[in-house]
Amino acid sequence: MRNLIAFLLRYQGVMLFVLLEVVSLFLFITNSSYQRAAFFNSANAYAGTVLARRTQVTDYFKLDELNRQLLADNAKLRQQLYPPDFTRREADSLPVGRDTLGHVIYRHLRPDPSVALAVGPGLAAPTPAAKGKLPSALARPDTLLLAGARLATRDAAYPLVPARVLNNSLRAVDNYLTLNVGEADGVQPGLGVMSATGVVGQVKSVSAHYATVFSLLHSKMAVAAKIKRDGTFGSVKWPGDDYSHALLDYIPRQNRLVVGDSVVTSGYNAVFPEGVLVGTVESFVKEPDKNFWTVKLRLAVDFSRLTYVYVVHNRPRTERDSLETAITAPEPTPAKPLKITRPTR
Amino acid sequence: MSILGELLRQLLRFGLYAGVQVLIVGQLSLFGLGWCFLYLGFVLFLPLRTPIAVQLLLGFAIGLAMDISYDTGGLHAAAAVLLAYLRPWVLRLLTPRDGYDAQDTVNVHQMGWQWFMVYMLILVSLHHVLYFFLELGSFQHPLLTLGRVGVSILFTTIALLIVQLLFFPVRRKRS
Repeated sequence: MRNLIAFLLRYQGVMLFVLLEVVSLFLFITNSSYQRAAFFNSANAYAGTVLARRTQVTDYFKLDELNRQLLADNAKLRQQLYPPDFTRREADSLPVGRDTLGHVIYRHLRPDPSVALAVGPGLAAPTPAAKGKLPSALARPDTLLLAGARLATRDAAYPLVPARVLNNSLRAVDNYLTLNVGEADGVQPGLGVMSATGVVGQVKSVSAHYATVFSLLHSKMAVAAKIKRDGTFGSVKWPGDDYSHALLDYIPRQNRLVVGDSVVTSGYNAVFPEGVLVGTVESFVKEPDKNFWTVKLRLAVDFSRLTYVYVVHNRPRTERDSLETAITAPEPTPAKPLKITRPTR
Repeated sequence: MSILGELLRQLLRFGLYAGVQVLIVGQLSLFGLGWCFLYLGFVLFLPLRTPIAVQLLLGFAIGLAMDISYDTGGLHAAAAVLLAYLRPWVLRLLTPRDGYDAQDTVNVHQMGWQWFMVYMLILVSLHHVLYFFLELGSFQHPLLTLGRVGVSILFTTIALLIVQLLFFPVRRKRS
C-alpha cells in the first residue's frame, strides 16, 4: 500500500497530465456533435452574459457601421414594398364568371378587342366612364389566374426569428457564432440561420437565452445548393482558408458554367427555404483526376461584419425527416418477410 | 494567511488574463492570420516552484474557460495542459549556472532578455504547433498552418513581452 502511494506521488505529474489530456481531447472531438449539454460552449448562461456585455460595449464603437447596414437593409425592404406596377398585384375578388354548375368560364378573362381599344393603354386605372360601362374582366386586368387557383407567393412554413450576433470567429478551422436568442424565442438545434444577404449557418445547441451556431465556415458544414440558372444540384463546402470564398462540389464536368452565376439553396435538406442566395461563381477549373468541376464561390455573406441574422423555422421539417428516415432506414422487422420469401425460392 | 493571499492573487490573475483575452485581445488578429494567446501568460508566469499537479490543473482550467468562450470543445485545454506539463522541463533545461534563487520568478528584468526570450519561444512555439495542427485535425494545408503558427508566435510573444515590461517589477535581485 505504501509503495502504491509512493508510486502515485512520484508519477502524479505524468498521470494527471494524461488524464487531463484525455478529458480535453474527448471534449474537443465530441464538440461537433449536436446533442451535447450546452454547458461547455458559449451558449451557457455565464459565457452568454459576458459576450452580450462585450457586444453592448463594442457596439458603441460600431454604431456608424451598424446604422449604415440597417439603412441598406431598410432600403432593400422598401424597394420590395413599392414594386413597379403589375408585379405581385392581386385583385381582392377574382373576375371569374361561373356557369350554373360552378365551373369557371374562361371566356370572361379574354378581353374584347373593341373594348380594349376604347380603354386604351390605361389598364391599371381605367376612367370612371369605362369602369361604369364595363364591370367585366377588363376592370382588373392584372389578375393572374393559373389553372383555376392562385399561387402562394410567400411561404408561411418559414417564419423568421431576428437575432444579434454576439461572438463570431473567422480564422479557426471550425468557426462558430453565438446569438442572443434561445429556447425562450423558439430556437431549436438544427434550424437554419441566414442574414439579409444569404446563408450563414445552422444552430448547434441552445440554452434558455443564447444559441451557438455552426457557421458556414465549418469543416463539417455542407449546404445543399443549386445553380439558379439551370438548376444543377451541388453541395457548398468551406475548404478552410479564406472566409469570403467556398467551394461548390458535385457539378458534373459536362455542365456549362458561367462566371457570376448565382448559387442558391436547393431546399433539399429542409434547413433553408428554397432559393436563398449562397454566393456567386467566381472561377471554375477542370482538374484531370476528378469527375466534377472545382467551382470557387464568392460567398454572398461577408462574415467579417455579420451583425444581425435571422433564424429560419421550418415547421414541416420533423414530419419530413421522420418520413425520409422511415424510407431510408433498414426495415425494423426484417425477420418476417425473410421467412416468407425463403420458401418461394 | 499567506496561502489564502496567494490563492486570492492567483484567482485575480486568472480573472484578469481570461477577461482581457475574451473581451479585448481575442478580437484582434495580425495580418489576418495570427491570433494572440495572451491567456498563456497565466500559466507561463506562475511562480517557479508551483507543484506540477497544481500547474496542470490551472492550465486545464484556463484552457477550458477559453474553450467555453470560443466554442472549441477542449482544444485550448489540451494545448494549455501540454504547456503546463512542459514548463518544468524547460525551466530545468534553462537553469542558470548556480541554480534558481528562492525569489526568482519568470521576469524579464530579473532573468535577463536572453533567458526570457528562449523560455518564451520554446514554450509558445510548442503550444502553437500543437494547437493549430490539432485544430486542423490533419496536415492538409501545411504552408497556411505554418504561417498561422509563425505569425501567432510573434503576436503572442510580443504581447506577453509588453505585459512583462509594463506590469512586472524592475528591481534586480541577481548581481
